[in-house]
Amino acid sequence: MAQEIIMPKQGLQMTEGTIIKWLAKEGDAVKEGQPLFEMETDKLTITIDSTASGTLLKIVAGEGETIPVAQVIAYVGEPGEQAGAAAAQSAPAAEIPAAGGSTANTVIMPKQGLQMTEGTILHWLVEEGGAVQKGQPLFEMETDKLTITIDSDFTGTLLKIVHGEGDTVPVAQPIAYIGAPGDAIPAAEAEAPAPAEQAAAPAAQAAAPAQSAPGGERRFSTPRARWRAEEKGVKIDAVPGTGPEGLIIERDVLSFAAAAPRATPLAKKAAQSAGVDLAGITGSGPRGKITRSDVAAAAAPAAAEPAPAAPAAARGETFIPLSGMRKVVAERMKASLLEMAQANHRMSVDMTEAVRVREQLKARGVKVSYNDIIMRCTARALTEFPMMNASMAEDGIVVKHYVNMGMAVAVEGGLVVPVIRDADRKSLTEIAREAADLAARTKENRLQPDEYTGGTFTVSNLGMFGVDSFTAVINPPEAGILAVGKMAKTPVVEGDAIVIRPMLTLSLTYDHRVIDGAPAAQFLAKVKELLENPALLL
Amino acid sequence: MSVKTYAMAIRDTLAAEMRRDERVFCMGEDIETAGGSFGCTRDLYKEFGIERVRNTPISEAGFVGMGVGAANAGMRPVVELMYWDFSYVCMDQILNQAAKIRYMFGGKARVPLVIRGQQGIGKGNAAQHSQCPEVFFMHMPGLKVAMPSCAEDACGLLRTAIRDDNPVAFIEHKALYFIKQEVPEDPDFMIPFGQAKIKREGSDVTVVGTHLFVGRSLEAADIVEKEGISCEVIDPRTIVPFDYDTVIESVKKTGRLVIAHEAYKTAGMGAQVAAYVQEHAFKYLDAPIQIVGAMHCPIPFNATLENTVIPSVDDVAAAIRRTMYK
Repeated sequence: MAQEIIMPKQGLQMTEGTIIKWLAKEGDAVKEGQPLFEMETDKLTITIDSTASGTLLKIVAGEGETIPVAQVIAYVGEPGEQAGAAAAQSAPAAEIPAAGGSTANTVIMPKQGLQMTEGTILHWLVEEGGAVQKGQPLFEMETDKLTITIDSDFTGTLLKIVHGEGDTVPVAQPIAYIGAPGDAIPAAEAEAPAPAEQAAAPAAQAAAPAQSAPGGERRFSTPRARWRAEEKGVKIDAVPGTGPEGLIIERDVLSFAAAAPRATPLAKKAAQSAGVDLAGITGSGPRGKITRSDVAAAAAPAAAEPAPAAPAAARGETFIPLSGMRKVVAERMKASLLEMAQANHRMSVDMTEAVRVREQLKARGVKVSYNDIIMRCTARALTEFPMMNASMAEDGIVVKHYVNMGMAVAVEGGLVVPVIRDADRKSLTEIAREAADLAARTKENRLQPDEYTGGTFTVSNLGMFGVDSFTAVINPPEAGILAVGKMAKTPVVEGDAIVIRPMLTLSLTYDHRVIDGAPAAQFLAKVKELLENPALLL
Repeated sequence: MSVKTYAMAIRDTLAAEMRRDERVFCMGEDIETAGGSFGCTRDLYKEFGIERVRNTPISEAGFVGMGVGAANAGMRPVVELMYWDFSYVCMDQILNQAAKIRYMFGGKARVPLVIRGQQGIGKGNAAQHSQCPEVFFMHMPGLKVAMPSCAEDACGLLRTAIRDDNPVAFIEHKALYFIKQEVPEDPDFMIPFGQAKIKREGSDVTVVGTHLFVGRSLEAADIVEKEGISCEVIDPRTIVPFDYDTVIESVKKTGRLVIAHEAYKTAGMGAQVAAYVQEHAFKYLDAPIQIVGAMHCPIPFNATLENTVIPSVDDVAAAIRRTMYK
């Protein structure tokens, strides 16, 4: 049976995508990982690689067609293979409609970031049979990059959980169904093996030999070995068999489970970079699985050990292994400074008018922060100085015609830069609202990939820590970053008198390869002008 | 409690039951003055007289049939077959009459009959006198089948058999008659049917054995223990009703089952138990169930050949190792 190529989910809100261009034609040989088609969503344009190797047997959705997520758009297989008999029936995967009922909605493992191929379900936040509202947190999951809470896309009853806590599921695979009681579960997915099968499965089913290994060889296991594998959450195919002719027997599963600590992909990565042995860690995740926080907790006491060991006489050192995020930040900061020719200049800004704007809005019940005002002014300035809103590419400079404003947010152990898209087209209050929401969700680890990617310029504020001014490091691949210091009543000269004004220092770091000092200075002057004369924004 | 042989345990239990209930009487070949070929009725005629300890002609169909009739008429006969091999002569009386009368008469007729006697090897008695026909009586609905492996079990199970209103095939073993054990003197000491006994606890392999193969399984367990294999040895004591629950509980723990018996392996008691266990406890099995039984050929007269046909302790140990993939 040919393999299906489906419309992938890019970001949680995505419900459908449009195919712009097929990069292979029917009959071509394709390889897994090879770019296969270009598609567009309401947020981005992206090239998608093939998820299968073989011959592109049939293109079901053509260029220009808009297809819902998870629907089949093509088939890859051996020449002559049946390309999607199921698809021939109707556009969505074949469903068995309930008599008089409708079909349940499929909850799939969402794709968090382009490299993600699978995610681990940590916790279901709704029970089977429970009511769930669209937007309500539905489950927590972990990938090799992040831990995130996923909200429900649908309102209804959580009819069935297909993959339970601890299961690692490929992207776009069904993990649950939400609908009205009595709704039919889509047939194609209902056939997918449900690992949480009852032990009382009929003898005929249980008698079926073990699933084929990826290589296609049939592997056999005893019933007891399969019982143990299910109990321990071990994939029976992964277990080496020591019985006759490679038969997988109970002790094989037990020693495999004992030897291989069960950990989420993110935890495994974190353990590797922290230099922590998973074997010593007790997992707090579902069924004892080790999660990233377990690894972090394990790494911390390891760091603390050298200290008590050192006697009072000598003061020693503490070694803190690199966490995943620390490592990423470290690498990016270094790369930024190595790649770019970063230069910096600063200006003092009289924030009197900005204060007035803020007070006015506050009196009307609208909350905005100075940082919001600064971002608004910066966004406008960027439209007038597009070279600040650019990136250095291999042979040239990419000037972006949209402004996605990154705002640096400190989180435990690191730094995240959520992005306000089209900030130049948003009002101050919209920016303020979005900034507050993004900051809150950043701290809760609930950002979606399109909310921390695609920035064109960043604003970083250390004013709340009392910093007068500082030099920020540019967030690649951007060309500039605005560092904001604290606002303080300062004596300044006006005419020949000394007056007290709320002053604040803006410090601009820019990539000198992309823009020179003079235009960069003009840009900063523009930001200052807008802050000191907000009426210009109207 | 007193120490006595298996044969004496049977004799004393017969005596106690005949004292207790005047409807109980014995019939069989040479059971009166000779006291039975194996001494199981020794001197009983002195206490109970020759009407209650009654010699019969060499006519199994006749006297087993008489036993059925006497039971119908309200007596509680204990009929001895000198060898269980001779049951073939009176199969109709056992399988078609004794087993079915209560059912066919809608419960209006009862057959509180015990047919007792010995089976198996031990005296070089060759093909027609060394068999173990227990499975024929397991196969037929309407009969209970007891197979005590020691004196205490013989006593407790016989009393239960005599007091049971149903026909019971009470199968003893010629090689076990002379084994001594402590037996309770309590005149009401009974062992319920369908209650297996765990003779040795273990965690790796469940071994079910009857008669001689209780002892042989325990010996095999000792041998493999040195190789790091821990066996749980179970004596079912009655094969109808069969205590499958105890066996299955054990298999859930161990994952491996060996059934060892003296009867021919083909279509023997082991085959029935294996079928039942794989049907009801399939997912707990880590290896195919092993059945240890006699080769499919008449029991030889020659002692060396007899020992070849009948499984040995080593055969049981080998079966245990096979379940461990060793």
